[in-house]
Amino acid sequence: MFSSLEFFIVEAFRSIRRGGLMTSVAVVTITVSLTIFGTFLLLILNMGNIVGVVSSRLDLVAYSQKDLSLDEAAAIQVKLSKLPGVEKVDFTSKTEAWNRFKGDFGGKFALDEVIRENPLPHTFAVRVRTPDQLPDVARTVSNLPEIDEVRYSGQLIKQMQSLVGAVRFGGLSLVILLSLATLLIVVNTIRLTVLARETDIYIMKLVGATNSFVKWPFMIEGVIIGILGGLAAFLLLKFSYDSTVLRLSQALPFLPLVTDQFLLGLIYTATVIGGMCLGIIGGYISVSRALKNEA
Amino acid sequence: MIELTNVFKTYHSGIESLYDINLHIGKEEFVFLVGSSGAGKTTLLKLVYREERPTAGKVVVDRVNVAELDGNQVPFLRRNIGVVFQDFKLLPRRTVFENVAFALRVTGAPRSTIRRKAMQALELVGMLRRVNSFPDELSGGEKQRVCIARAIVNNPPILLADEPTGNLDPATSWDILQLLDKINKRNTTVVVATHNKSIVDEMKKRVVVLENGRLIRDQQLGMYHV
Repeated sequence: MFSSLEFFIVEAFRSIRRGGLMTSVAVVTITVSLTIFGTFLLLILNMGNIVGVVSSRLDLVAYSQKDLSLDEAAAIQVKLSKLPGVEKVDFTSKTEAWNRFKGDFGGKFALDEVIRENPLPHTFAVRVRTPDQLPDVARTVSNLPEIDEVRYSGQLIKQMQSLVGAVRFGGLSLVILLSLATLLIVVNTIRLTVLARETDIYIMKLVGATNSFVKWPFMIEGVIIGILGGLAAFLLLKFSYDSTVLRLSQALPFLPLVTDQFLLGLIYTATVIGGMCLGIIGGYISVSRALKNEA
Repeated sequence: MIELTNVFKTYHSGIESLYDINLHIGKEEFVFLVGSSGAGKTTLLKLVYREERPTAGKVVVDRVNVAELDGNQVPFLRRNIGVVFQDFKLLPRRTVFENVAFALRVTGAPRSTIRRKAMQALELVGMLRRVNSFPDELSGGEKQRVCIARAIVNNPPILLADEPTGNLDPATSWDILQLLDKINKRNTTVVVATHNKSIVDEMKKRVVVLENGRLIRDQQLGMYHV
């Protein structure tokens, strides 16, 4: 078996070397397909990230009745923070709010003389764990007798959520379609290298090679072509993504782009492994078809 | 060794290639299969090494009906049958040695065995001095010798030759037939399909004549024509 394995690998490399142009075409095809594939993955990842980050920044703001005392307000804060789905509650007292307001505008007007009494309510900024809990929390909070008014951008949340859904669904369908298209292209490209070696296959079969024996060198060839294509795609993706992130973060610093090296590493690994799988499957399908024609 | 019983072969195109063939070839026999082009010689050989299946009838090779042989058993049948072609079918980018060793490699034989057996086969066909040449550098006769070496390197009990002298001049053809005769004398059943009249007449072997897919004559020490 060992000598056979050696034979397979030697044959695979021999075929790659001899394939020349054909091999390059196969590698480039895989590279291009996987680069498009990876670009979509990165786009989807970033869109999801942007939507997620933006949604998580959406707070619900509750204003208390004006005559609520500080103690009562503190009790409300505790009550609010214990509601299901609530992550944290920031409290701003009416005095604080008034002082801040006066600080912002006080230079221009003597506000205290115009408005004798603090007109502002206590403010609770409620942050929820996931955006979809926002409507429920808002309803509960607005039902509290001590709360005068609740504000949150419900419409925006809904749109954001449907956008996340669309991006996930569309992205998944795109990824599946792209995988199929890539596989088709790879199968046909490797088939060309198989066709170029029809005589070899014929003679191998003639002298008593089993089908699996004929298949192995082609599958190893497929793996090598796939890995080469995958690595090239990885380098292309990494280089262009890094430079894009660098430029965008300078131009649009508030845009939350994915820079998590682990997550990106996963995508790059998936690209290389994807190339390898495409190569094996492509090699297998094309050589199986050639063998079927033979028999 | 080879036995065909009521064998019919009709191709998908409707061409009737063999019609009710009954033929027995014994162990270590030397048989000429003669007839004009399209008589069915090549088809008959293909049935034996199972490149084709008969439409009806039995093709028994070494006690196995190859007509019903499972596809994954075919490689093992072929390791017991050497095949030689008119157009040699050598791999152009491999040396003489590699072409012969190829037949052993696919059986998963160890490297030392491959080398020893390949060299023995090349010695038998008289091609030892050209082991490192490529097929393009060889004459027709030399290519056919390499093709024969590849066919016998596994020591198969059966050797089939389909028009082995079709591309060769008379003198070279004669040498090739002498070589096939030598292999036959080393206990190998040899079947040669040919329409080379002078060789058939000179060799004085058993002659089986096909005409339009029918076996019309089977004669020991026969001649091409009656």
